[in-house]
Amino acid sequence: MTQVLKAGREHAPGQLRRRSFSVGPRRRTSGAWLPYLLVIPILAFEGVFVLYPIVKGILTSFKSQQLGATGSFTFSNYSRMFADPVFWQVVRVTLIFTAAVVVFMLVAGLFIAMLLNWSFRGRSFVRGIMAIPWALPDIPVVLTFLLMADPNFGIFNRFASWIPGLGHHYAFFTSSTLAFPSIIVLTVWKGFPFYALITLSALQAVPDELLEAARVDGAGAIRRFRSVVLPSITPTLCLLAVLAFIFSLQQFSLIYLTTGGGPGNDTTTLSIDIYNQAFQFFNYSYASAIAMVGLFLSIIGTALFVYIERRVVRSRS
Amino acid sequence: MAVLTKPAAAVPAAAPRRRRSRRYVAGSVVRVVVIVAVCVVALFPVYWMILSTFQPESKTLSFPPPLILKGFNTGAITQLFQDQPIASWLAHSVLVALITVVITLVLASFGAYLLGRLQWHGKLIFGLLLLFTQMMPGAMIIVPELQFYRSMGWTNNLPMLAVLYAAFAVPLGSWILKSSFDNVPDSVLDAGLVDGLTRLGLLRRLLLPLSRAGLVAVAVVAFFLSWNDYLFASALITNRAQYTAGLGIATFISQQDVPIFELQAAGVVFSLLPVIFYMCVQRYVVRGLTAGAVKG
Repeated sequence: MTQVLKAGREHAPGQLRRRSFSVGPRRRTSGAWLPYLLVIPILAFEGVFVLYPIVKGILTSFKSQQLGATGSFTFSNYSRMFADPVFWQVVRVTLIFTAAVVVFMLVAGLFIAMLLNWSFRGRSFVRGIMAIPWALPDIPVVLTFLLMADPNFGIFNRFASWIPGLGHHYAFFTSSTLAFPSIIVLTVWKGFPFYALITLSALQAVPDELLEAARVDGAGAIRRFRSVVLPSITPTLCLLAVLAFIFSLQQFSLIYLTTGGGPGNDTTTLSIDIYNQAFQFFNYSYASAIAMVGLFLSIIGTALFVYIERRVVRSRS
Repeated sequence: MAVLTKPAAAVPAAAPRRRRSRRYVAGSVVRVVVIVAVCVVALFPVYWMILSTFQPESKTLSFPPPLILKGFNTGAITQLFQDQPIASWLAHSVLVALITVVITLVLASFGAYLLGRLQWHGKLIFGLLLLFTQMMPGAMIIVPELQFYRSMGWTNNLPMLAVLYAAFAVPLGSWILKSSFDNVPDSVLDAGLVDGLTRLGLLRRLLLPLSRAGLVAVAVVAFFLSWNDYLFASALITNRAQYTAGLGIATFISQQDVPIFELQAAGVVFSLLPVIFYMCVQRYVVRGLTAGAVKG
């Protein structure tokens, strides 16, 4: 059998690669031009609808607000931005929000994954219903949380009244102390199932033999976790960290529809700020400049993703 | 071809039965309690949403609001459909989601093939380009996107909105599907080549049918991206007659005159489709998403 395969694939050495099929005319293959044919619709599609607007956005950030597209290249948006203390507050809010969401989601995800990494009856049922927060659209979640957190009729306030020492008229989304933690809680609640489920898969992929060997060698549960489980799932955790980073960086509806970025600018992240600049103040060029900062941050995140993905792939093959 | 069967593996000796020690039982009980607690936390808002739909407004808007249903408002959902054009909103959302999913599946199949199995010049650049399109999260790209759509006269155009969603979903979908494609054993594809399949045939007849989990994952990603979006829909669709469900329901937030139970009913109705859809396919989704990412 192998002889037949080899005979059918007589390419110049180096052209044949494992797991991929080289360009090179072969028998009745659809020709060397197949990749180039397939790539055209995708390139055109992405180019028109995503790349072109991105490039245009980058260019717009260098145009002055007054002159618009006809104006010449200028840094005025950037100088204004970097000099604006509100901008730096927005950056700070964004970074803290993102860090908090990433940490909480990963920790919660790991905790829940470890909880579920146990065969018990009804496990798939639990897995299923635990995914519901993630499957729900943002708007109903916002509506329900607004009701639950209502200062007058909210069930959260009823819970608060059960705790001694707490009152029961908290305005969770409009209070200057509570708004920021509230959006973090909301975002983590909404997103954690995804991270829990992926971490669970990673936990289940840890080879049993290794764990058994460790147990036989006398390693306790904590030691087993540290030396066997953790190294196995670390690549997945890193991947999830980057995904969570991007997820929280681009959060918009959950924040905008609950706190609106307020009170004041207390919960205004980059996304909210860009939206406000563009649709409230109509400062399109300024909004584009702020968007560039966001782009910069997500490039860093995505670069991390690529780096980690490469490492995972390399360690697999 | 003679098929060699491996000698059946010797039946392993029964694993030594662990004594169900008290510690184990206690540990299990704690575990169950914590699992239940987590489920409660995860589901409580959903419970509240459903509760508030069927509870008369007077009870919901009282303090303290009852934890268990008090009174039953059977007409909640019918009233919702009477008062608000939610049926057409939902229809719009379904239409947009369907178009998004179809376009994404087709293009992501090409993309995944191009990213993985096919070897060609420019593959690296193509991969980087796709990556770059994912780097601009929503709010960053909304302004130029809106200006572009305005200049082309594509605002208030639901199919073009779907096209935009697909443009966002295709790169991610390609990466997901690529992992699935990579998991198809080389031997299967070699056999296909030997049987005379073209490379396109390989895609159609072997890779795609064998990557069902990945295809489902891509469909789910595309569907959710489309169904859940608020930002782009709110910017590109301003004509009330064309609102998608997300847009329409979001307008309730600022209105004072919509009864609470109608609000929550809208939420329930809007959530039904994605939740049911997800429940049906959840087996495939995690498998499809982690095909390449998780070791083993």
